[in-house]
Amino acid sequence: MPKHQIPIIDTDIHERVQYEDILDRLEEPFRHYIANCHWIQEKHMPYTQPSVAGVDRADAKLPDGRPAGSDLPFMQEQLLDDIGHEAGILTSALDPSPSSMHGWHEMAAALATAYNDWQIETWLDKDERIYGSVHIAAQERDAAVKEIERVGPHPKMVQVLLPIDDIMWGDPYYHPIFEAAEKHNLMIGMHHNEPPVYYGKWPRYFIEWHTLIPTAHMKQITNLMFNGVFEKFPNLGLIMIEAGFTFIPHLMWKMDQQYRDLRHEVPWLKRKPSDIMREQVRFTTQPAEELTKKEFMSLIEQMGSDEMLCFSTDYPHWDFDAPDRALPNMDPELKQKIFADNAKNFYPKLPNPKEG
Amino acid sequence: MKEQVVCKTSEIQPGEMMKSTFGKQNVLICRTPDGDFHAFMNQCIHQGAPLDKGMMCGATTESSEPGDYQYCHQGEILRCPWHGREFDIKNEGRMLANPDKKIPSFKVRVEDEDVIVYK
Ligand code: FES
Repeated sequence: MPKHQIPIIDTDIHERVQYEDILDRLEEPFRHYIANCHWIQEKHMPYTQPSVAGVDRADAKLPDGRPAGSDLPFMQEQLLDDIGHEAGILTSALDPSPSSMHGWHEMAAALATAYNDWQIETWLDKDERIYGSVHIAAQERDAAVKEIERVGPHPKMVQVLLPIDDIMWGDPYYHPIFEAAEKHNLMIGMHHNEPPVYYGKWPRYFIEWHTLIPTAHMKQITNLMFNGVFEKFPNLGLIMIEAGFTFIPHLMWKMDQQYRDLRHEVPWLKRKPSDIMREQVRFTTQPAEELTKKEFMSLIEQMGSDEMLCFSTDYPHWDFDAPDRALPNMDPELKQKIFADNAKNFYPKLPNPKEG
Repeated sequence: MKEQVVCKTSEIQPGEMMKSTFGKQNVLICRTPDGDFHAFMNQCIHQGAPLDKGMMCGATTESSEPGDYQYCHQGEILRCPWHGREFDIKNEGRMLANPDKKIPSFKVRVEDEDVIVYK
């Protein structure tokens, strides 16, 4: 019997790949550079403080020593079956995202392609509950569009993943990526990479970095908003993954107030920013701050919508949110929305019986 | 269930821990480096993680100054496998960041080779 009464849609699950898993799907010459020339990605976090097992839940490491998130049967047992997931969306740990890699963009694009094939074969085709994210090397824009065209039509690909790092994706140069996503009914999922918060650098302490992740998310929403992405692509939605949600009212108020003063600078914006956010931007709940029911309900009221939050666990990472413990008690109707319906209504490619 | 043998002393070395059951409860038996045994509920009070998958380690202490770590209580701190909250085994399982909270504990005594948990 699953632990959770509402079959949940989990909007942030990190599957993990190691280079050897995708080598046979990687084109030459890129395979050669990894297999024989010791190529590895160059960005690494300088901290291991977060938990007893780096950035993973210590109990999610595989018994054979492979890192957490590497194995479907183990994930089924520890997460999907145990909690009773209706669906879960993979957001990966090809770390860092190909779009976040400095230099050698061809390698980034080749890795994204190999990763997508691996993801489809190893996860999406193996468990009907699991949905996927299209990986791209967005800095190599035209290759990114091609990759969206190639794997975007897969029935279980529900979004295109963009990292939050040092590129602001709202710039018109990247709009063809949004156009391709919209064409294939894919949403945009944004997840922070490293290091997005301290003026492009790492702060002295992990706790500083981790506290301020929402600021990096706010920058991207603001950037897409005022660069007109939501107006230009009205069927496109953006979901901000893993920054929590308590900053949402602040950002809505701030952007609305700025818009009243400075509309003339961004005349392509026809709707109030807060209305656009309510219609087109969603947020995964984790990592949820520990709020009382009263505080939580007051936030929802300030957002002016109970349809913006989508539950996520962030499994198997150390700051995993347990579905029955992370959020305060709420009435069943709201619970149904946050734990399942909001995500179903957001992602056009998730099965949604209500829409028939 | 008032009391129960949960393991033999030789089954847990100082600085190690193991899970066991006390009646229907999942319990965690920790043996601190001084050889003492302590028993707690094997479930984190934050979000319910299985504590036996965590780690017994030391802790940076309050006497640390900015930029200068003091680390002690080696083997006396239980860190949760999920969010890493720290609990002081020698101080009733109190959380270091918020000592008002503690992991529910059980009494323990050793008779010959038997580690006995009781209420
Ligand atoms: S569940 Fe133990 S610290 Fe969160």
